[in-house]
Amino acid sequence: MRRDSAGEPPGGPTDPGRREFLKLVGATAGAAAAAAVLPSGAIASPERVEELAREHANDPGMLIDLSKCIGCGACVTACKFQNDLTWRQDQPWLGPDAQLASANWTVVRTFEPETEPSGSIRYAKRQCMHCLEPACASACPVRALRKEPNGPVTYDVTRCIGCRYCLVACPFSVPTFEWDRPISKVSKCNLCFQRVSHGEATACAASCPVRAITFGKRGELLEKARATLAADPERYMPRIYGEKEVGGTSVLYISDATFPEVGFREGLPTEPIPDYTWQVSRLALPVAATVGAVLTTIWVRRSRALERGAAAPSASPDGEKPGGTHA
Amino acid sequence: MSVTTTALARPAAPRPWTFHMTSFRVVLLGIAGLGIGSVLYRFLFGLSASTNLTDQWPWGLWIWWDVAAGAALAGGGYSTALMVNFLGGDKWRTVERGAFLTSMLGYVMVSGGLLLDLGRWFNFWRPIRFWGYHSVMFLLFWCVAGYTVVQLVEFGHIWVERVPTPRMTRLMHRIYVPVLIVGVVLPILHQSALGSLFIVAKGRLDPLWWSMLLPLFFLMSSFFVGPAMVAIENIVSARAHGRRAPVPVLGDMVRVTGKLMGVYLVLKIADLVWRGELGRMFEGTTASNFFLIEMLIGIVVPGAMFLLPRIRQTVGGLFAASFLVVAGVVFNRANVVFTGMARSVNAPSYFPYWMELAVTGGLIAGAVLTYLFITENFPILPERGAAPSPAPGSARAAG
Repeated sequence: MRRDSAGEPPGGPTDPGRREFLKLVGATAGAAAAAAVLPSGAIASPERVEELAREHANDPGMLIDLSKCIGCGACVTACKFQNDLTWRQDQPWLGPDAQLASANWTVVRTFEPETEPSGSIRYAKRQCMHCLEPACASACPVRALRKEPNGPVTYDVTRCIGCRYCLVACPFSVPTFEWDRPISKVSKCNLCFQRVSHGEATACAASCPVRAITFGKRGELLEKARATLAADPERYMPRIYGEKEVGGTSVLYISDATFPEVGFREGLPTEPIPDYTWQVSRLALPVAATVGAVLTTIWVRRSRALERGAAAPSASPDGEKPGGTHA
Repeated sequence: MSVTTTALARPAAPRPWTFHMTSFRVVLLGIAGLGIGSVLYRFLFGLSASTNLTDQWPWGLWIWWDVAAGAALAGGGYSTALMVNFLGGDKWRTVERGAFLTSMLGYVMVSGGLLLDLGRWFNFWRPIRFWGYHSVMFLLFWCVAGYTVVQLVEFGHIWVERVPTPRMTRLMHRIYVPVLIVGVVLPILHQSALGSLFIVAKGRLDPLWWSMLLPLFFLMSSFFVGPAMVAIENIVSARAHGRRAPVPVLGDMVRVTGKLMGVYLVLKIADLVWRGELGRMFEGTTASNFFLIEMLIGIVVPGAMFLLPRIRQTVGGLFAASFLVVAGVVFNRANVVFTGMARSVNAPSYFPYWMELAVTGGLIAGAVLTYLFITENFPILPERGAAPSPAPGSARAAG
């Protein structure tokens, strides 16, 4: 400090630890910042997505062909029966205003794509995408949401604290909340966990009258999707939604309309979201330990300096404490 | 209203507890009452009855103000503690207690706000048992809870001066240093965690705010907003009590933070350049304009004011610059929670329901009332308790 103020109380010797501390803190902050920044450019490796695809090739999944969907809503009905969900007028499950909600684990929303001839309609069936590396599960402070070993992302209400970080975390805005009850829970598709664990197809896939939904192993579904696109490149957009989004999802989509036109979010990273957050949350303990150690060092040094040099009578108010506790 | 506790058989009879009723305090009590009513309503009828939150806007006023902004504004406690006790800023010790008190009340408010916001609030303790350690929310929960406890323990230090209890005094002295250290480590972790909370919104939060450096930005801003809060608090309470604000001490503190704000500004810009998003600042959208306002009014202008001795050494200049810093940080948190998220939200914008405002207002009123009670009864503010003596019963009865 360049300018000393006149009224500086005695007992505060120019601190030997301060410059050292600032250096250390600077170095720590720098290292932490570097560790945190570098991955934002470096984790975009295509190998990561391939590796995940291999690892989860046998997970149950669904391939949804939006060009085949006729918007009948059989899947929604099947889902509501399967999962004991109610029909609520304020939560439309079909039509242009259909939206995932506490009683809607799946919906079929109507779109009128601008690139299509006027009057042409597309239906988008939406539900949880069942990410290979789900952001919601990594965000849950109590692991109420988790990725089951066999693939589905499930929710355990007994653990949930209702913080809704999962709603913030989900890149597809899938989890919803039961806002109108005094004690609310999170609500989302669980890929018919009970059914698929017994080798059965999901209720929605089983009920689709036009086979727009194919249930199967993710690896095989990817093959099928590629084959379908290759067989009719005129019809389909050259893209499988869910193949690479946030590291890949168990539910895959192909479509004849562009994906943004039928309500799908574009611009999502190809890296799993938890890869980003873990870069930071894993630093918590090292940072805590470092800061704690540095502060302890400074305190000990200051106490010794106080003891040695300024045995002055008018020490700072707590001047007697360090002397007593440290030897 | 003045309540006297009957003096027990103790060597030094304690001063009676006082709480002078003024019209201002009556108003605050009214606001607090409305807040309590709204809180009860929220617990009985749920969040949709008492808030405008939706699946598209799952976090609202309470998370923004009570938690994100509140915690930042309470940063004065740890930043002052760090500077005074570890960075050789002994000359700033006179304002330490006030800063610490504001911080403690801030954290009680943060914890209260978080609890209200939980849909399954009775499960609030679950993170103690189930360790979702990958989650930033888990880290946040532990650090906020831990630091609130640490601050209440630290307050015990002041409590024993006023209410002599020898055993507690000895205990307080014994754990003084560890508590002081933990009381800096925990806030550093969770102030940065509040920023890390939004890293998960990659691809959704506007790139003007989304960055892997979010935790560092939140930490730095919580650090430099601290002295600004301390300055405001000292100036306001000095005026209220008819004393002179310790401007030399405060001006000296904000000089340090002014430099830190410079570093923050450079880092912010370097980060935008590095991510190739610098151009977004000038796109003319709501988000980009808000970003420019945040940086200019909240960082550049007050930072410069802090660095100019002629401004920071006057009460008016110090107050104005500090106010801008505080407003800037609050605005920054709002931009991260709302403005930056708006582009990926497929729904009308969110505005709080009146009960949300009533609850937040009630929390603030409650905190201010508690502050007034404590400063009236404990040696907190400079000049009255400039050199708080560890010896109990120092005859300062007249006050």
